[in-house]
Amino acid sequence: MKKKLLATLLCAALTVSMLTGCGGGNAGGEDDPAPAQEQSQPETDEETPADTAQDATGDEEEVELYMFISGPEYADAINELLAEYKNVKPNVTVNYETTQNDYPTMLKAKLNAGECPDIFASTAGKEIETYKEYSYDLTGQPVQEALLPAIQASMADASGNGCYAFHYVGDQYGMIFNQDCLDAAGVTSLPKTLDELEECCEKLQAAGIQPFACGWAEWWVFKQSLIPFLTESVDNYATFVSDMESGADSLNNYEMMKDDMFRFVDIVKANCESKPLESDLASMQAQLATGKAAMGLGMGPWAEGSLLAINPDMNINYGGYPVGDDPAQCHIAVGATQALRVNKDSEHLQEVLDFINWWFTSDFGREWLSVTVGGVPSIDTNGVYTNKMVQISMENVAENGAGNVGTTYSSDAFWQSFGESFQSYVEGSASKEDTIAKIEKDWKEIDGAQ
Amino acid sequence: MGRKRKEYLESVLFTIPAVFLVCVVFYIPFLMGIYYSLTKWNGIAKEPVFIGLENYKTLISQSSGFITSLGFTIRYTILFMILANVLALAVAVALSKKFRGVSVIRSMFFIPYIMSMTIVGFIWKFIFSQGFAALYEKTSLEFLNWSWLGSGKLAFYSVVFVGVWQSLGFYIVLYIAGLQAVPTDVLEAATIDGAGNFKKFFMVTLPLLKPSMITCIFMSLTNSLKVFDIILALTKGGPGDATYSATMDIYREAFQRNNYGTGSAKAIVFFVIVLMITQLVMKLMNREEKAGVNK
Repeated sequence: MKKKLLATLLCAALTVSMLTGCGGGNAGGEDDPAPAQEQSQPETDEETPADTAQDATGDEEEVELYMFISGPEYADAINELLAEYKNVKPNVTVNYETTQNDYPTMLKAKLNAGECPDIFASTAGKEIETYKEYSYDLTGQPVQEALLPAIQASMADASGNGCYAFHYVGDQYGMIFNQDCLDAAGVTSLPKTLDELEECCEKLQAAGIQPFACGWAEWWVFKQSLIPFLTESVDNYATFVSDMESGADSLNNYEMMKDDMFRFVDIVKANCESKPLESDLASMQAQLATGKAAMGLGMGPWAEGSLLAINPDMNINYGGYPVGDDPAQCHIAVGATQALRVNKDSEHLQEVLDFINWWFTSDFGREWLSVTVGGVPSIDTNGVYTNKMVQISMENVAENGAGNVGTTYSSDAFWQSFGESFQSYVEGSASKEDTIAKIEKDWKEIDGAQ
Repeated sequence: MGRKRKEYLESVLFTIPAVFLVCVVFYIPFLMGIYYSLTKWNGIAKEPVFIGLENYKTLISQSSGFITSLGFTIRYTILFMILANVLALAVAVALSKKFRGVSVIRSMFFIPYIMSMTIVGFIWKFIFSQGFAALYEKTSLEFLNWSWLGSGKLAFYSVVFVGVWQSLGFYIVLYIAGLQAVPTDVLEAATIDGAGNFKKFFMVTLPLLKPSMITCIFMSLTNSLKVFDIILALTKGGPGDATYSATMDIYREAFQRNNYGTGSAKAIVFFVIVLMITQLVMKLMNREEKAGVNK
């Protein structure tokens, strides 16, 4: 009998420990070790909030907000922002977590586990509709009014209503140059046509400098460097994309897509490192910053910090992609791709809104958005920029006009496949015709079917 | 209380935790997967829409990616099984001899196996790119300058090589255990009968190793069919889609393309294929084993 009792007890103990194990797993989800999890430090109350309804006092209930967003390159700036908010509202702690790899997959896992972060991210444009069920409509909030009108528009749902997201830094697509390399090779102006690009490469080669660091191991480099060949070809890019998704249009109808885009890839391939498909972002940035290569692809002002971290004296220059014969079509593309959302079912919805409104309307927040974060500002800053590339681009845009960012009309799943198709082309396992056919098929199957 | 009844009760009680755990982490998600494969769901929306067998139809009608990745998985499996077993057996034969430092060498072979696949992947990614580049500068050996991860054909061999390198230790251990169980008197008898080393190995040792071999072949089969992490860390399926395995294609469909339904359908189809292959291999091996016993 004793033995039986022991057996039963042991069995019960096992089951219970296992159940608590499971329960603990769920509750502890937020504490999962992530690539870069940072928490703002509590500090003393010094300032009163500029725009929040209540005053912050120490007696208020402790509130923890969970912010899980992509873009680790802005982690330092965001930690600065959160540290300041801790001064403004000592009872609110924002747990900030960010990751570069596979953000959407991790977010989906959290959503399906019933742990929607209070603030989470997606891309603007097409994806606004995808996460609409979870997103709070920010219409009428001070944050919405602070955003530039063009950005507000890209945060609307498929029928053009509402403002389901905000963002703190805009996106740009352009080509980064190491000006010292260009000077050493005697290149006097940035190339604006493909002929000029070829000429520029010849001069660099003659001077013993590798013209390109391509970064082609990353699929998104293709997306962000080849999109101008698509957007500059057509007048209405939105219509073009929906025609591609339904199969009504073809890349073969546009010279810039069927010839110039491939010519550009060929020029880069002939003038870059010996193993282009093993070149990733880190290696591209290292080559560019140290002057081993003169031109880098697929990056924008967000890369400036990393480049200067490698070489603080790097002489950066920045321009549009040469897309054909007409220099007037060489634009830096400017727009909104990042979209941060507020969980509409958040337990502390009001606290979240207070935080964001403070972020976008307080003096500290506005200073942060225009200076600290060092990207393309999402609010009207009266022409103050600290980032050198943003400054160059603003002058460039004032002179030549801006290109359309365009990438948000399609899903990242499509762009990943787009990048992979071009990897096969670069590798030589797919011809130009195969590549075009594959891209057209993907556009129909991946985005057209959604 | 009868003794039988008591024993029965005990075995039921002791298995409950395990059964519960297996249900929660395996059978229930599996059934849910079957349900999701019959729905249109992006993995984000709160309510999946039931669409019947539509996902399976799409799978057959347009998913060339799935067929290619199945092809890759099969090629990977065949090469992995051959290399892992032949090399492991060869090393095991060498390491089952007694000499100084044998245990150190054995553990050296085993260390990669206890490292995480992802870490192994990143280490080899570094070796293939920077490591090989540095060696090439010193030695000028042409193969060090090849783009081991950047060209589709070489990337396949790189992935297989790293996979075999990582798990070799595990199979070596199994083979060494088998070799040590080979009775010495049989080997001595063979020597007396005039058999040379070569003959002794193929006529005596190898047939007696059959149980170890069956385990190793079966383990290498299932492990290579499931290959995922090492590819993700080494090539992310690239260049292009040259190294997408079936499991990676399922992952891409469900999580990157937001087609959870189609992804689940692919997973179910893959499950059926794996089930058929493993059953077939198991049957063949059982027959072999029985034939061996009857001889």
